[in-house]
Amino acid sequence: MDKFEIVVIGGGHAGVEAAAAAARMGAHTCLITHSVERIGEMSCNPAIGGIGKSHLAKEVDALGGLMARAADKAGIHYRVLNSTKGQAVRATRVQTDRDLYRQAIQKLINEQRNLTVIESSVEDIIIEQEEVRSILTDKGEAIVADRLVLTTGTFLGGVMHTGLEQKPGGRVGDPSSIKLAERLRRLPLPVGRLKTGTPPRLHKDTIDWSKLSPQPGDLPTPLLSYVSSNQDRPKQVECFMTRTNKETHKIIRGSLDKSPMYSGIIEGAGPRYCPSIEDKVVRFSERDSHQIFAEPEGLNSDLIYPNGISTSLPKEAQEDLVRSIKGFEEAQIMRPGYAIEYDYFNPTGLKHSLETKCTKGLYFAGQINGTTGYEEAAAQGLIAGINATLSLYKKEPLILGRHEAYIGVLIDDLVSLGTKEPYRMFTSRAEYRLIMREDNADMRLTEKGVELGLVQEDLWEAYTNKKEAALRELTRLEKEKILPNTEAARRLEDETGEKLSTPKTLKELLKRPKVLYDHLPGKRKGIKRNAVDEIEASVKYAGYIERQKNDIQRLQKNENTKIPNSVDYENVVGLSNEVKQKLSEARPQSLARASRLPGVTPAAISLLMVHLKKERKRKAS
Amino acid sequence: MTESTIIAPASAPGRGGVSVVRISGPKARPIAQTLCGDLEEPWKLKKCTIRSKGGVDLDTGLVVFFKSPNSYTGEDVVELHCHGNPRLVDLIVAEGVSRGARVAEPGEFTKRAYLNNKIDLAQAEAVADLIAAQTEGAAMAAHNSLSGRFSSDINSCIDSLVASRVYVEASLDFPEEEIDEEGLAQAGLGIKEQLGFVKDTLASAERGALIREGFGVVIVGPPNAGKSTLLNALANKDLAITSNIAGTTRDSIGVELNLGGVVVEFTDTAGLRENPDNEIEEEGMKRTHASLEEANLVLCVYDITKQEEIEPINKDTITVLNKCDLLSEVPRCGEAEVCISAEKGLGLDNLVELILIKLGLGEETSLLSRRRHVVCLQECLDSLSEAVSLFEQGLGLELVAESLLSAQESLGKITRPVSSDDLLGEIFSEFCIGK
Repeated sequence: MDKFEIVVIGGGHAGVEAAAAAARMGAHTCLITHSVERIGEMSCNPAIGGIGKSHLAKEVDALGGLMARAADKAGIHYRVLNSTKGQAVRATRVQTDRDLYRQAIQKLINEQRNLTVIESSVEDIIIEQEEVRSILTDKGEAIVADRLVLTTGTFLGGVMHTGLEQKPGGRVGDPSSIKLAERLRRLPLPVGRLKTGTPPRLHKDTIDWSKLSPQPGDLPTPLLSYVSSNQDRPKQVECFMTRTNKETHKIIRGSLDKSPMYSGIIEGAGPRYCPSIEDKVVRFSERDSHQIFAEPEGLNSDLIYPNGISTSLPKEAQEDLVRSIKGFEEAQIMRPGYAIEYDYFNPTGLKHSLETKCTKGLYFAGQINGTTGYEEAAAQGLIAGINATLSLYKKEPLILGRHEAYIGVLIDDLVSLGTKEPYRMFTSRAEYRLIMREDNADMRLTEKGVELGLVQEDLWEAYTNKKEAALRELTRLEKEKILPNTEAARRLEDETGEKLSTPKTLKELLKRPKVLYDHLPGKRKGIKRNAVDEIEASVKYAGYIERQKNDIQRLQKNENTKIPNSVDYENVVGLSNEVKQKLSEARPQSLARASRLPGVTPAAISLLMVHLKKERKRKAS
Repeated sequence: MTESTIIAPASAPGRGGVSVVRISGPKARPIAQTLCGDLEEPWKLKKCTIRSKGGVDLDTGLVVFFKSPNSYTGEDVVELHCHGNPRLVDLIVAEGVSRGARVAEPGEFTKRAYLNNKIDLAQAEAVADLIAAQTEGAAMAAHNSLSGRFSSDINSCIDSLVASRVYVEASLDFPEEEIDEEGLAQAGLGIKEQLGFVKDTLASAERGALIREGFGVVIVGPPNAGKSTLLNALANKDLAITSNIAGTTRDSIGVELNLGGVVVEFTDTAGLRENPDNEIEEEGMKRTHASLEEANLVLCVYDITKQEEIEPINKDTITVLNKCDLLSEVPRCGEAEVCISAEKGLGLDNLVELILIKLGLGEETSLLSRRRHVVCLQECLDSLSEAVSLFEQGLGLELVAESLLSAQESLGKITRPVSSDDLLGEIFSEFCIGK
């Protein structure tokens, strides 16, 4: 019988991060997937990053994760969203070649020491005395697992819908995991159904590209990973844009009776932030046009992913709606779009370590927890893999704070609040947006990663180089000055309109909104873009960062006020029954976490605080 | 364990026509029923006999039952009206306690009202202020705040801020979703409007805080212009002296007067002139300057028959031209100027009216507020000004978002604070027992 310290089920974005992280930390690890060749598959759109998501991808990268490294090996079109806004909300998005991405992930997995990949379907989990023992595969093999990480994505009880037709499956061409879903439904965990969808894929030679408006990638081309270099990227291509029109919307309205969403066949909640085109047309009926990005699936692929028209209408309706769009008049659908319904477990059943509350040694990560998006999945996979391993070593779990990382915000939101619709990350979910930026994920996390044994040599080298360069430049900017009426002052005024009446240090000048690092004299040769971003952000946001740090310190007091597990909320004087029930269910571990529960009022927190104080006094005396 | 039931006298201690005992909590009704008989119909005053546990008739009175949630605390509440004898009130409270109630802590009824969302914190504070109000103006202003006008101003401002934030956050998080520019521009206008509103609210809260704390008016002027005579004239006019000379220093004399229903402390100061004679006079003038710092309004008193001037004062000022009885013809006065004769009592009515206008106590209804509210509003104003300026310069939308969030949090502290300190304890301990 095979025996592993860490077993990860699932080879998607969560699974590969979980397995690789555990293996990096030295655990004897196994990744089980039903299809080895589809490890690292991008099931939906061929892009990584975007607002809030690139923050997650970079945080995973800063802890030695795979996602950003692979994305740079496969990235064929890069943009920085919000580039006209400040650093805190800028976000890199990469269009990737699906094949290259999968190959890059598979290469990283194959090269990873301590990691074994097994091709099998898992049908049962053996749990004894509320602790995971082993798993059983469809071939009847038993594999002993000290710790088990489940990253089954949309495969649990997956049902695909196209029009009124439906068939079981986790993704086109892949079966769903029905037996495992049945097994998991027997655990005392809150189970629910969610749905998501995907657009039809078009043949690139049947699109009239001259009618679409090109959208070139950004120059200079950014990178997603802190360790990548320009040589890692393949050839860059353009993306194109077109729009839906009144005719398209008319076709959609006329077919709603054949839509599984609108005829009531699908019960699961869909993502509000990534709606199907049917949803958009119904909910935003005042708009008579929505944009579509025509994204290539790969350099050598014939498929085009029309981002913006995810649909589960019947095939014929999909054809009509596609052909009503400018440039798509002759387009051939290679694969129709579909909606997929799947099981998820409301993550309130998890601890902050992502271990289930009911079963020791069982961890959940990714879409099984109700999230949507590759980056959200990768972030959870990484943390689940780390914490499963830490628990194996009898160490405290890694729990990142809401002020430390978007990963912390993600997990705290999920575990504390749960979710009823697919959860995706946004910058507005973070209270400390100015501190947690794309440019400083490594500054925030890499040293932690080193302590845990997660960080590879190349990442450590890139990190120390950047840190050293940023520090040296900041010291220089503090020292060097521009004097009025000099050549340097005139050049600055020409470029930025900023006038100088007294001598100013470069740092003082950089504080001015219109002055960028590139405008300052004596630029350090070869300094990396992410070091420059870090310098600019830390100077420009200085005042705000100070304020946020004060807030964090205050909050930390509440975060540090632990609520003992023994608290009986029935005994807290003054709490309403509703709040008592909420707190009893959620059992938050600190006052700060209690305060983030919906419906728990500030007044209730005060009462709780008084109660805890009294209890402490009582115990002390 | 469920919520306890509390009992306490709701009327002032001492003898009187009627005293009221209040009971609140889940057992209020059963406890009251064993005391004074059946209470079927809520919100109806009913005659009753109040009986001890031993079956002795204690008193005949009236009883009313307020059914949850339509009561002061939001819980079941019973009020017993008995004859106004302190021994009797004690007896009834003791009877209540023997039936399972406990004596309420100071402010506990109001605290429960707050915790049960019947009122917010600003309203709870107004309850304490209404009870403590010393002048009719303060009482009326406290009532206005208690009725929720102040809170609803704050809450509607929070709502508008949230509406603006939605647009700002959306354009940060959905850069490709074609958030209409118009909406963002509207949000910008909205923020500006809020800025104006917060400014007004701050001014009104400043005034409200002063109604609670008392206004300070400082009388300055050259020596022998008649400052002390003016103070005496104001004090002797038809105004009640609410407290006698307080904090008399060598040269500064303060008198608290009830002016138009609010407390105003007038301070007489040492005369100001360029070359003081000696150290004592110099020290006196230093104190005059210190008083000026604190003043809400300054009366500059001159002898109209002399040509004297003092250095300009950077405060709201009324110029008082004294001794006009010595002139054959009273000259016409400019704005913020008034001619009087302190000695003869001429023109004092005009002066009082002008003082009230200058203190912002004119026609409009005042709201009572606290220093705490003023501080929160000032914080909000600072954040909001920052947001407007960033927005107008088209700089850092993420910083606009940051400032708007701070502004919103500052306002939230007024009505529903997330208190990590003992703010609540502090506020509710101000109450006397029984409210």
